[in-house]
Amino acid sequence: MNNLINRDKRITGKSKIRLFVKKNASGWLFLLPTVLILYTMVWRPTVMAGVWSLFKMRAYTIGEFIGLNNYKMVISHSQFVPILINTLKYVFWSLIIGFIPPVVLAIMINEVVYFKSASKIILYLPTIVPGIVCMIMWTYIYSPEPTGLLNMLLSKVGCGSFGWLNNPDFTIVGIIIMKTWKGLGGAMLLYYAGLQNVNSELYEAAVLDGAGMWKRAWNVTRPALAATLVLNFVNQINAVFQTLDEPLTMTGGGPNGASATLAYQLFQYGFRSGGKSTGQAMALGVIIFAILIVLTIFYFHVNKKIEENY
Amino acid sequence: MGRFSNKEAGIISNVDLKTFKGQLVHWIFVAVLIVFCVVSVIPTLWVVMTAFKDSKEIYVSRSFFPVNCSPSTAWSRISDAWVKLQLGDSIINTFVKSLGDWFFTIVFCGFAGYSLSKLKPKGTKLVFTLIVWTMLMPGQIRMVPNYITMLHFPFAFDIGGVNLLNTYWSLWIPNAANAFKIILFKNNFDALSNSFVEAAKIDGCSDFGVFFKIMLPLSMPILLFVSITTLEVAWADYFGPLIYLTDNITLPLKIYQMKTDVTIQMNTYFMGLMFACIPPAIIFLVMQKHIMGGITVGGVKG
Repeated sequence: MNNLINRDKRITGKSKIRLFVKKNASGWLFLLPTVLILYTMVWRPTVMAGVWSLFKMRAYTIGEFIGLNNYKMVISHSQFVPILINTLKYVFWSLIIGFIPPVVLAIMINEVVYFKSASKIILYLPTIVPGIVCMIMWTYIYSPEPTGLLNMLLSKVGCGSFGWLNNPDFTIVGIIIMKTWKGLGGAMLLYYAGLQNVNSELYEAAVLDGAGMWKRAWNVTRPALAATLVLNFVNQINAVFQTLDEPLTMTGGGPNGASATLAYQLFQYGFRSGGKSTGQAMALGVIIFAILIVLTIFYFHVNKKIEENY
Repeated sequence: MGRFSNKEAGIISNVDLKTFKGQLVHWIFVAVLIVFCVVSVIPTLWVVMTAFKDSKEIYVSRSFFPVNCSPSTAWSRISDAWVKLQLGDSIINTFVKSLGDWFFTIVFCGFAGYSLSKLKPKGTKLVFTLIVWTMLMPGQIRMVPNYITMLHFPFAFDIGGVNLLNTYWSLWIPNAANAFKIILFKNNFDALSNSFVEAAKIDGCSDFGVFFKIMLPLSMPILLFVSITTLEVAWADYFGPLIYLTDNITLPLKIYQMKTDVTIQMNTYFMGLMFACIPPAIIFLVMQKHIMGGITVGGVKG
């Protein structure tokens, strides 16, 4: 008798597990491919880069433990500080040149009565030009030869040719102008979408209260865009800090390393050093990661405050 | 000026538009927009114009538009450039790459979104948090480790595994799971009623059936948006092929390598740049409404 009861309990225990598996199996199955890919392509490599940065790498195989030597080599490299400053210059100029125009243009498109949808579509057009085509196109536009578009314009006004990307003071600004040209439309549409959520009764009430255009822009439009502004601000710093394709294809990091970024240096360590500096590539990756994670945490902090306020 | 009086209140309201100051601000806005539109178009237009110029003309003439370019010479310049550049193979490679990216993105991100939204198995919360974190993690740190993984997939060390370098898989796999797209799908499925799923299951439909026959067809706008962005990004992808492919390269890489080829004239080369823009331009022309609407959908994500 006792035995029978025990067996019954065992069965219910087993069927509980079976029920649990049955309930969850299809859900897990649907998640499995994504989890596996994210594990092998995102989560594991991020951790492994941290681990391997402490090892000596022979091309792409792991050697012996060398502690922080890779980091020392990266930081003591004569170009490390100039390249870090370059990277910050990219971020600085992208905020100066590229951050405000999309907001202003979105507001303008939202306000005008004529030329509204046409300008929305035309401003979006550069976004559909493939990145590499953009970069090559702008290399030719900035070409120091008289055939470059900008030098062609200069010669029409009667000025001589200018070096553009060959000028170490202009390369970074030039690349940022190109990036802004390409990214403007997408960012503008994001802000435009944000503006559609503003109830026009708010503006009507502001008009009745006698608020002028500036006051309406500041007190009604600005709060509506605040969250998107902060998000784009952080995303832009994040993206520009990791600039790689442009120095790689447009300038080769030159002239004299004036346009090299940390990411560009990482690429050189990882894939153009003949396997000698793979370990340093990982160490530099960890350094970039650490800098940007601080930014992300800052974003969460600010975002919480915004959500509390509005 | 009928349109002025119908304008909804905004920074400029219809009351302002009756005054000189308000109208002035309005027309200044229009003028600024026109200037930016011109700047947006000129560089691409210049490439197209130069592509149709004669090879000597580029260096001699300082004209923006090609001179002496009739439709028949234009056509012969297109066909000459096509023969000279030999882009056929790389275009086919790029198509295969893009379609693979598209297929895996829709299926895997869609599956994950469906599971996270409707099936909610044990562990959903943890996986979702990890996916959100994935979106915030800077990608550069993974560059070299991912290359090592591709050398002996799916292992991180040299303990067997398959070398995926120089295959399409090395391009498809990293792009197949995208945190942002998973969240887009999840949010979209969240908005669909659970009763669709329950009703279908009572009728004997499996989860695969529910996903393909009910969830996807009900999510057309988001499906189109994800398809369009995936295809455009895949078509333009330069960095993946640069690292992982050595032969059978894709169009962006091919175009970049041709830049240093001295036997290719500038106008022929620009014709190649123009060819690379044609597929995304067609997608844009056909799907324009969905792209403009879709970004609104994506933008809500915040």
